[in-house]
Amino acid sequence: MRSTIIAFAAVLGLAGFHVPATAQTVETISPAGLEAALQAERGKIVVVNLWATWCAPCLVEIPDLVRLESELADLKVKLIGIAVDEPKGSTTQIETMRKRYFPTFNTYARDKTEMDYLVSVIDPAWNEVVPTTYVLGRDGTLKKRIQGKKSLEEFKAEVRAAAQ
Amino acid sequence: MALKKVLLGLLAALVLGALAHAEPVSPTSHVAVAPDVAVNAKGEIALMWVDRAPEQQKKADGPHDNHLSSTDLYVAMSRDGGATFTAPVKVNQADGVVWGQQVSRPRIVSSNKGNWHIAYAANEVHPALNKVALTTHYTRSTDGGANFEPPKRLSTLTDKDLSHMIHGGFISAAAFATLAAAPDGSVHVVWIDTRNMGSERDTGAMYAATSRDDGKTFAPDRELMATGVCPCCQLVAVSDAASNILLGSRQVSGDNIRQSTVMRIAASSGMADTAVVTGGAPWQIAGCPLKPTVMAVKDGNIYTAAYNGGEAKPGVYFSMSADAGASYTKAALAHPEAAVSDAPSIATNGRYVLLAWHGKTTGARRVFYRMYNLKGEPAGSIAELAAGPENAQNPIVAARPDGKFQIAWQQADRIHTTTLPGAPGQVVRN
Repeated sequence: MRSTIIAFAAVLGLAGFHVPATAQTVETISPAGLEAALQAERGKIVVVNLWATWCAPCLVEIPDLVRLESELADLKVKLIGIAVDEPKGSTTQIETMRKRYFPTFNTYARDKTEMDYLVSVIDPAWNEVVPTTYVLGRDGTLKKRIQGKKSLEEFKAEVRAAAQ
Repeated sequence: MALKKVLLGLLAALVLGALAHAEPVSPTSHVAVAPDVAVNAKGEIALMWVDRAPEQQKKADGPHDNHLSSTDLYVAMSRDGGATFTAPVKVNQADGVVWGQQVSRPRIVSSNKGNWHIAYAANEVHPALNKVALTTHYTRSTDGGANFEPPKRLSTLTDKDLSHMIHGGFISAAAFATLAAAPDGSVHVVWIDTRNMGSERDTGAMYAATSRDDGKTFAPDRELMATGVCPCCQLVAVSDAASNILLGSRQVSGDNIRQSTVMRIAASSGMADTAVVTGGAPWQIAGCPLKPTVMAVKDGNIYTAAYNGGEAKPGVYFSMSADAGASYTKAALAHPEAAVSDAPSIATNGRYVLLAWHGKTTGARRVFYRMYNLKGEPAGSIAELAAGPENAQNPIVAARPDGKFQIAWQQADRIHTTTLPGAPGQVVRN
């Protein structure tokens, strides 16, 4: 079994790797905001990743998801993260983690205690497991729900299938 | 035929009338989550929740250590069977230190002496490392819930710094706790501990602290399992009539197989025996399921429920053991018609077993419940709790001495509670 902790330690070891320009600061997002964000990306394969700062497997796979977006650029892939951490008014903890380990990760934080309303925009039957990754087709329809940490190759296969 | 319709209408009105008493107990303008409910032998009801008051929200918005929580723990008491509740009493003494949410909810139980016992996770700054740790705390009320003793930290604060790998930056975590009060006067608090985690070990340990004098004093914490516990799946403990503690947990084996199990902590030795899988398909997931295994016990029967994502149709599955936990029946999906079912809670009044959960059939999340007889067979149909338009979720149930059940749940940002009948087809008049 590949140890999640070893993998996460490897992620941490990447602190010295090439640091690209950072994504925008973490903002909160509402259900209406998520609908608008998805609408704005119509025509692309959209990958929505639900993660948390306390979820070690999530932190392991996020760098792979970021690479997915760049390595499959020819397919026009858009990655959107949503952190499920408890909202505290500020998004300090999420932003600290994002800046430190995956600065190009485009992620939002939820705007309310209620998370189901937000995820229901994509998946009304979400079971609150993290990580959960959704692959949406170019027309915005849900193509695949993926739960648990996956490899870059597994994500690529799902995106390519959605692009067919 | 017409008379039958009228009678059915009256019956429905009575049921809905009873449920219409389910006014929120938590204060308006506060954000309240993670309810728990307990009922003592006198029928007094303790309703507890994790609360963020407006003033705590301001603190959360401001600059502060971003690993510190900003929530408190409140209890409201009812001494009239749930008709009215006292003003909420704050349980924790230091403001805003409680780390709690639905998946790591603080727990409350009553003991034979009528005292109220509470376990919860809280933040504290490690004095030597000057970083934030998450520790398990205990407190009790010996005056009927009017006041709570200064909390005791039950988990040993270690010098290990795992802030780079766990729970978003805590140096260590003793959380996802449960507690049980046994007939012999013992109180058991059990939690998931990160102290054995490291580069080669990514699962949690199970630690416990036990009191033999109704919570007045506790022996030092002890290890029940060194590793192998799903680190984010809350534990659940209940006592049987012989003061053995049954402990529900999700155990990790093989390549991230996370199965629901029940083990027994013997009253005589205080040590745990082998965890027994409660049935259902293995769930393989390299993630955080955040799913407890809930239990109720009656004589040699153990009734369990848990979410299982490994089944062809994921959802809440119910199973039982008729041989004191040696084996379990094939797990059965509790709500086949639901698109999703989750967050089960279970209790028995000695005649029936009540299973509650939240789920979705159409539209918003609703709380559902169903009774089973003591053989584990469904008794009556699945019922939906009357609730407002917002999501109704995270139910928790407790048996009352009058044979009825008390149920609490979260709706929007408020905590609600009401009484359910003790048998299928009965009507509750509050």
